[in-house]
Amino acid sequence: MTEFDVIVIGGGSTGTAVARDCAMRGLKTLLLERDDIASATVGTCAGMISSGFKYYHEPDIMDLCSHEVVHLKHIARHIVAKLPILFPLMDLSEISSGGKGMEEYEKRVQERGVPPVLILTPEASREIEPSLHPELIASGYVEEFFIDPFRLCVLQAKDAEQHGATIRTYCEVTAIDIRNGAVHTVTYFNRMTGTLETVEAKVVISATGPWASEIARLAGISLELRLNKGAHVILDRRVTNVGISTRAVDGRWVYLFPHENTTLIGTTALDTWDNPDELVTSQDEIEYLLRSFEFVVPSVREARIIRTMEGVRPMAPVWKVPEGEVTRGYEIIDHGQDGVSGFYSFIGGKLVMCRHMAEAVTDIVCERLGVTGSCETHIKPLPGMSEEVDVLMLAEKYGVPSHALERLKARRGSELVEILEMTREHPEWTNMVCICEPVMDAEIRYAIRTEYPQTLNDLRRRVRLGTGPCQATFCTFKAASIMAEELGLTGSQTHSEIVDYLSERWKGKRPPLRGAALAQEEIVNGIYACVGNLEQTVIDYEPKPWEEIR
Amino acid sequence: MDEEEAYAHVRNTLKEERMMPFSTSEMEVVRSVGQCINCGTCLNHCPVTRAVGVERFTGPRGIAVELSRSPPEYWSSTDRIYLCTGCGTCREVCPKNVDIPNVVNLMRRRIFSQRPDLVPQSLHQQNEILRKHNLAFVPWDDPDEKAESRNMRLERLDLPFIKDKIRKGAEVLFYPGCQAEERAQEVREAAKIILERFNVDYTLVEKMTCCSLPAILVGDMEKSIELSTILKKQIDDLGVKKIVTTCAGCTSNLNEIAARNNWEIPVYHILEFLVEDIGVHEVSKALSPMDDHTVRVTVHDPCHLIRHTSRRVLEYAHRLLNAIPDVEVVESSAHDLCCGGGGLVGRHSPDVSRVIVKENIRAIKETSAERIVTPCPLCTAQIEESLFRDGSDIEVDDLTVFIAQSFEGG
Repeated sequence: MTEFDVIVIGGGSTGTAVARDCAMRGLKTLLLERDDIASATVGTCAGMISSGFKYYHEPDIMDLCSHEVVHLKHIARHIVAKLPILFPLMDLSEISSGGKGMEEYEKRVQERGVPPVLILTPEASREIEPSLHPELIASGYVEEFFIDPFRLCVLQAKDAEQHGATIRTYCEVTAIDIRNGAVHTVTYFNRMTGTLETVEAKVVISATGPWASEIARLAGISLELRLNKGAHVILDRRVTNVGISTRAVDGRWVYLFPHENTTLIGTTALDTWDNPDELVTSQDEIEYLLRSFEFVVPSVREARIIRTMEGVRPMAPVWKVPEGEVTRGYEIIDHGQDGVSGFYSFIGGKLVMCRHMAEAVTDIVCERLGVTGSCETHIKPLPGMSEEVDVLMLAEKYGVPSHALERLKARRGSELVEILEMTREHPEWTNMVCICEPVMDAEIRYAIRTEYPQTLNDLRRRVRLGTGPCQATFCTFKAASIMAEELGLTGSQTHSEIVDYLSERWKGKRPPLRGAALAQEEIVNGIYACVGNLEQTVIDYEPKPWEEIR
Repeated sequence: MDEEEAYAHVRNTLKEERMMPFSTSEMEVVRSVGQCINCGTCLNHCPVTRAVGVERFTGPRGIAVELSRSPPEYWSSTDRIYLCTGCGTCREVCPKNVDIPNVVNLMRRRIFSQRPDLVPQSLHQQNEILRKHNLAFVPWDDPDEKAESRNMRLERLDLPFIKDKIRKGAEVLFYPGCQAEERAQEVREAAKIILERFNVDYTLVEKMTCCSLPAILVGDMEKSIELSTILKKQIDDLGVKKIVTTCAGCTSNLNEIAARNNWEIPVYHILEFLVEDIGVHEVSKALSPMDDHTVRVTVHDPCHLIRHTSRRVLEYAHRLLNAIPDVEVVESSAHDLCCGGGGLVGRHSPDVSRVIVKENIRAIKETSAERIVTPCPLCTAQIEESLFRDGSDIEVDDLTVFIAQSFEGG
């Protein structure tokens, strides 16, 4: 039986960060993820690496957030972008209410290289953002940073792998065995092979977000969390020039961020006891977000909703207060207190803190295992971050449209050169598979070969396949055929891949389906059912192993 | 920091992040893109995509998608955005009226102001001419030579010369456009013949200046506004009530500018003026057989008329042609297909232009026409050159010239 120093459960932002830190400090590390990297909670966030503005009543958290922004800019500049954000004010009373927050915020702006909260006239505000309500009286202005959450997780996992860690996706932990009051083995069900495998571990770290209670239960431990659902509405294209934040109908803060070629509106906050795997955005949530933004961006309802997405905040079990007042800090629970030493769970936390969370838990693990060496995750850059890439020169050299390369660079930084090199031997791999992004053939092959995707949906997270305006109308067949070639899939398996992916996209498209989106959906249906003949295709659909179990 | 300093800071950040906020009118164009349902109809109809393939020109949908991207990235479309001829076919076939031609202009404008180094040299050269002369072409050095060239053209076409008229208080401004002013002078002369023939109270401008369309296509917003302002001042000084032009591009561009700036002066292509103001019946009285036999002609529809102005203009063209005795009109299967000359593509990528026009040439040759006519000097030049290269003996005429030629008594 293979023995590991550390087994990390969960391939989200925290889990991949932990695997990276452990591997960099020389620990023999295994990361187990039951689905794909970044397939759950982190994949439904807005990607903001927040300065913690909303949490001014927790100055320590603001400090932490601010430092982490600086670190993430340092290690992943190629996937970090700055976004100007306006806070339109419709009423004088709104100005006076932000005093304490502004003061705390201003203490920390310098290290991030952003201005204090600025106040803009209505004219200046509307110059920058003409879609704002004409009667606004002023607006506040801040600058925040955003990161591509999918790429962050994949890069952390890849970097961990480069430092010797083993990354296993589609491996669901089914048992944690305890011997002499300490974790001993972890058993997981390999969804790809349908087999159970067991490995030994000195330490187990659960970075499973809202599933932390479920994992703790495998070790016989009861762990309480306060689960809180947050939904986003995603609009087609960028409907504003900059980000906008405002108070929602109930006084909570909500935001609208242009993101890639879409716009995100979020979020809702609903305490939930549902299965986090089966959440769906409700009509009330969609309406809550749209109505809240109508106060400041009257035209928001004219924009087309392309999908919704929802995730669960794994908050600390603090009750009887609104969600916004629960600490945004994280906690590492040492289950030694529950009689299982060597087993740790995370609760709470935010995307921006993932590296810090990893550092803290890795310090504990190193002490426990008597390993010396200090954390370097904030010093050493993630893959792809190197000197400037000359897009125009490379476009010319490899005969690829410069816009496609600019996008490739935005996803991968200097990794793009390796991808372009692949086209030397196969010039046909410069073909565009997805025109929304665009994504070329070679990048898909590169992702398949080096970033362990198992499904088309995983490819979406690697290369943004099917996330653009057309929501996987034109790229699916092409991407599936490349996947079939690379992974040696049979015709029937390839068809199942397509059906699976379309069903997955459908989950997010269905709740807000209305207006122009209905027309587009008819076209998608026409393309797959009539042109693609998918309706008439006989697929021996074999339920996936986990579908049989459930 | 006071409000002014705050705004200066914000503008600086936007500049550093290479974000150019859309203005309200630009936002309207951008919003139209939001209506796209990705049906791909535009891709199937785009003449450039058809001619050079989707790898070289991703087509209207691709352009729309790029525009809606992260703002800093539109600059990277420079290898394609200048291949759009601006024919407007995409907008015409679009079930959701996505305004791609204006998206293209908007992107060219943004590239020109933020990354002028990426604007093709040929377009900068074009713009230099505009900046220097307020015309799309370098004007003749010697007025005598210009007159000589004009006379040679008139002689070849057997048309009389009528002296220029510049008269304040005239009802109609005849605005020939740069091509007819500096190159295809016969078109300008033919229009004068027509206007005289029907006793129209018209005037020319004191000093010919460009309508601003080429500046818009280059992306030089400042120059385009300057040019339309100069022209408006001349129009105001002359006190005219209507504008008549012989150029398809001028017609659509001046219509758009007049509507946007509330000029309240109608802009007509001369075909519209003939049918709507003079009347086909009146015109037909002046027409006589051109030759001793039936002349078989085919018509090419300029994009700037059918798609940027109105398809009705070409219906008028047919009504006028049918009124000429012994003229038989035969239809080319590619009569309303872009000739590849627009959008400054002919200047920037003549190779692309030449591939696009092949389809027109093929279709024209398939008709039994001995002559092709079109109401636009730019299309005329593009088709004439292409037929010549092809070794065809089909003759090409601007429709204004053709009508003037068919007047009884020359």
